[in-house]
Amino acid sequence: MFVSPLFAIEEKLGANFGEFAGWNMPMTFTNYQEEHMAVRNGVTVFDLSHMGRLRVKGNPNELEELIAKELTKAMPSQMIGPTAFLNDKGGFVDDVMTYKVSDSEYLLVTNAINREKVIKWIRSNSSLAVEDLTFDLVMLAIQGKKVKDIFDVDQMSHMIFKLNSKFLGKEVFLLSRSGWTGEDGVEIWAKPDIAGAILNELVQMGVKPAGLVTRDSIRQEMGYLLYGEDIDEETTPIEARYWVFSMTKNFIGKDAIVEQLKSGVKKIRFGFKMKKGLRIIPRNGNSVSSLGYKIGHVTSSTFSPFLNRAIGMGYISPSHFFLGYTLEVEVRGKTYEIKVDDFPFI
Amino acid sequence: MAEIKVGKYTVLSDLLYTETDEWVKLEGNVATVGITDYAQKKLRDIVGVELPEVGRTFSIGDSAGVVESVKAAVDIYAPLSGQVTEVNGLLTSSPELMNKDPYGQGWIFKLNCTDLNEKVKLMDAENYVKKIQKGE
Repeated sequence: MFVSPLFAIEEKLGANFGEFAGWNMPMTFTNYQEEHMAVRNGVTVFDLSHMGRLRVKGNPNELEELIAKELTKAMPSQMIGPTAFLNDKGGFVDDVMTYKVSDSEYLLVTNAINREKVIKWIRSNSSLAVEDLTFDLVMLAIQGKKVKDIFDVDQMSHMIFKLNSKFLGKEVFLLSRSGWTGEDGVEIWAKPDIAGAILNELVQMGVKPAGLVTRDSIRQEMGYLLYGEDIDEETTPIEARYWVFSMTKNFIGKDAIVEQLKSGVKKIRFGFKMKKGLRIIPRNGNSVSSLGYKIGHVTSSTFSPFLNRAIGMGYISPSHFFLGYTLEVEVRGKTYEIKVDDFPFI
Repeated sequence: MAEIKVGKYTVLSDLLYTETDEWVKLEGNVATVGITDYAQKKLRDIVGVELPEVGRTFSIGDSAGVVESVKAAVDIYAPLSGQVTEVNGLLTSSPELMNKDPYGQGWIFKLNCTDLNEKVKLMDAENYVKKIQKGE
């Protein structure tokens, strides 16, 4: 199993570790409820070293053919995404974030679970050069409503990044105004010793370290998808209602997507809320019904400390997507009412 | 009651334990039941509990409730046969007490035991420590 280069520091900070996508990573530091509320009301720092980070160089037209969103029209220093690598059926090979360094050089962030698959996908479908930076650099995300208290984020626009920049006076490889929480913040990629120093300094400044359990509950409140749970190679962006493509160019999977846009899909991603006071979390695969007929299933669910109720997402037949409509979910043999909702939940 | 440390887990010397990680405190015929520190740390953030009804009768090993965490939902099993005399209603609104104080405020239910001979099926602290060490 892989382990974050910051393991020793995080252990001292009281992290509880657990496995995610082949990595032993901090799941929580105190408890996810406190960490979750700190994202929404304060400032937090996440270690995201498990996420795949790749440098891709070569003919930009080849990358355009592989990635669903148009890259070449963007300016250098601009992030483009989320976007995706799709297979020829329109299914997700991976959903990724792209960073345009120059016309012929891009950085990509992949899901941890898909890092090797994406490298192989690029190599087998193009002559682009791929370099894996994942194990050389730590990725930290500093996120929260009060991020301006610790760092002047306004020096950069949203979705803009700088290479070889400084954060808290320390050299970082990449600094971007981005995140995956719905709150303001920055993400940095830095050498492990520098990232460790930054993590310690942030904690001393009162920034709360947060783990992957919190990242999961935070992303679900925003309706962000998790590869392997909510999307996979059999699911398309149309079904997932995940706008990751441009119609202004060609890319692998486009024909399948155009076909689905013409003739419609059989399932569509929906959000749901459980009743307040019901402290039950449906699990991936639990079935969703209406009038006694199965019409779909749950893919992700959690208990939102911010909304104080269980929330989740899954897929249902498009005919049943009415906001506020009541459906039923089966959890461990019992049926509970859920209300159809849409993202973000907050 | 002495605390025994097994890595990051705490085991209390005077309690009895099950294979399914419940603890049992026996006072006369009354068994107070909860989940161990090891169990709560494995489950991590607990967000809900289904408590048994007062008055229900269970045989040893019956499912008596469910503990729900963000990671998983697990059954709580009756460690001995008997009738439920009391449940910890505080857990309905504050299930995190099972994380914060698993051997104290996080107790789940009390059973009036019908057959104390069943006690031999439970582990003492020393054997429970060995079980944790094997599982790690």
